[in-house]
Amino acid sequence: MQLKDSSQTKTLHFLSFVFASLLLISADYRHAVPAVRTALNITVYPLKVLVDLPYNTTHTLLRFFTSHEKLSNENEKLRRLVTIYSARDQKYRSIAAQNQRFREMLETAERYDDAYLLAEILTVDSDRFHQTVTINKGSKDQVFEGQIALSGNSIYGQVIETAPHSSIVMQLSDPKHTIPVRNARTHEKALAMGVGKENIVNLEHIENLEDVNIGDLYVSSGLGLLFPPDFPVAVVQEKHYNPADSMTTVTATTVTDFRRTRELLLIWQKSRTAGEE
Amino acid sequence: MEQYTLRFSGAISLSLLVALILSIVHIPHTLQFWRPEWVALVLVHWAILFPRESSYLHAFIAGLLLDALWGATLGQHALGFVILHFIAIRMSERITPKTLSQHFFLVFICIGTYLLVNLWILGITQDKPADWSYWFPLLSSLLVWPLVHGLLNQLHIANKSL
Repeated sequence: MQLKDSSQTKTLHFLSFVFASLLLISADYRHAVPAVRTALNITVYPLKVLVDLPYNTTHTLLRFFTSHEKLSNENEKLRRLVTIYSARDQKYRSIAAQNQRFREMLETAERYDDAYLLAEILTVDSDRFHQTVTINKGSKDQVFEGQIALSGNSIYGQVIETAPHSSIVMQLSDPKHTIPVRNARTHEKALAMGVGKENIVNLEHIENLEDVNIGDLYVSSGLGLLFPPDFPVAVVQEKHYNPADSMTTVTATTVTDFRRTRELLLIWQKSRTAGEE
Repeated sequence: MEQYTLRFSGAISLSLLVALILSIVHIPHTLQFWRPEWVALVLVHWAILFPRESSYLHAFIAGLLLDALWGATLGQHALGFVILHFIAIRMSERITPKTLSQHFFLVFICIGTYLLVNLWILGITQDKPADWSYWFPLLSSLLVWPLVHGLLNQLHIANKSL
């Protein structure tokens, strides 16, 4: 009798846990329980830091033991670059001021400079079906959901979840990610969709008659107002005509090399938020 | 029948933690499709040898943590692990604990069902994976099972019943 009782409670346990899981899945699918998600993200963050630790340490050690000569060479090179860039920045400032004056004349909304923050990517893998990474900056640093992440001068992805000290960034190549783009040469528009393959996106809605060459650069179009316009996204790698379809299948390699990137730049687009307010 | 006792309390939680860490250690993208289901293997091991000590709570919490680590829909792996635990406990009564071939059969059924449940949830919540590479972990998990089982065997001692 005792044994039967215990097996019955076990079955009851099983059913209640199955029920709890199903409830959680349906709630999370509708983004109804962000608090649970954030709590779990906070819980697992130390584990991710722990896994990242060996990579981080080797990186720091390698940097510590680089030779003086190499460092001074690099320093020299960077100093030269800064000189060039500051000259260019001066030119940019005068153009920006001119633009501001024109905008005042036309009585349109003013544009402001964007703010940036550098974040480090933890060397931790996600599911094989998701292309997401964890970074070491979170809502305490004013990171918000839907924020754009850049890698140098190209687009990396966008923030999808935030916790106080960490957040999760979806890469361009994630199957759930789409970004409006345009051909830098012909200005024809398209959508760059992730397919779950590393460094690969598909360019959708390109008609068979459209002029697309292998090696064409696609930049963000700025449509949809989420991404800043004119940042490099992908370079066309392959195209296939299908006689039965009016659209061409175009595969492109992302400009950002997701394998190499260890740091990314978070951007606060002041002009956009100012425009919305 | 032999009785087993754990070398220290918390051995189950510790081994699950190590399995979780192994699930997110960085490996090249192509190899990721061959990553064995470490947490599932550890859960099967404890369900066979310690059906009383290992509970649904272990499976559920490990699943939730894996969901958070992998960025999956919350509850996806939790559901898979709870069902896996159920099957493992039910089947462990029907096998001889020391025969490797029977182990392989059990691991195949358990992880196969777990992956099937996962595939079902993935199909509902997002585009489900189209190719056969989804099932690679089943094969790699079977391959590493003797290793996992052998290592985890060091965490308990057998005391012969009188």
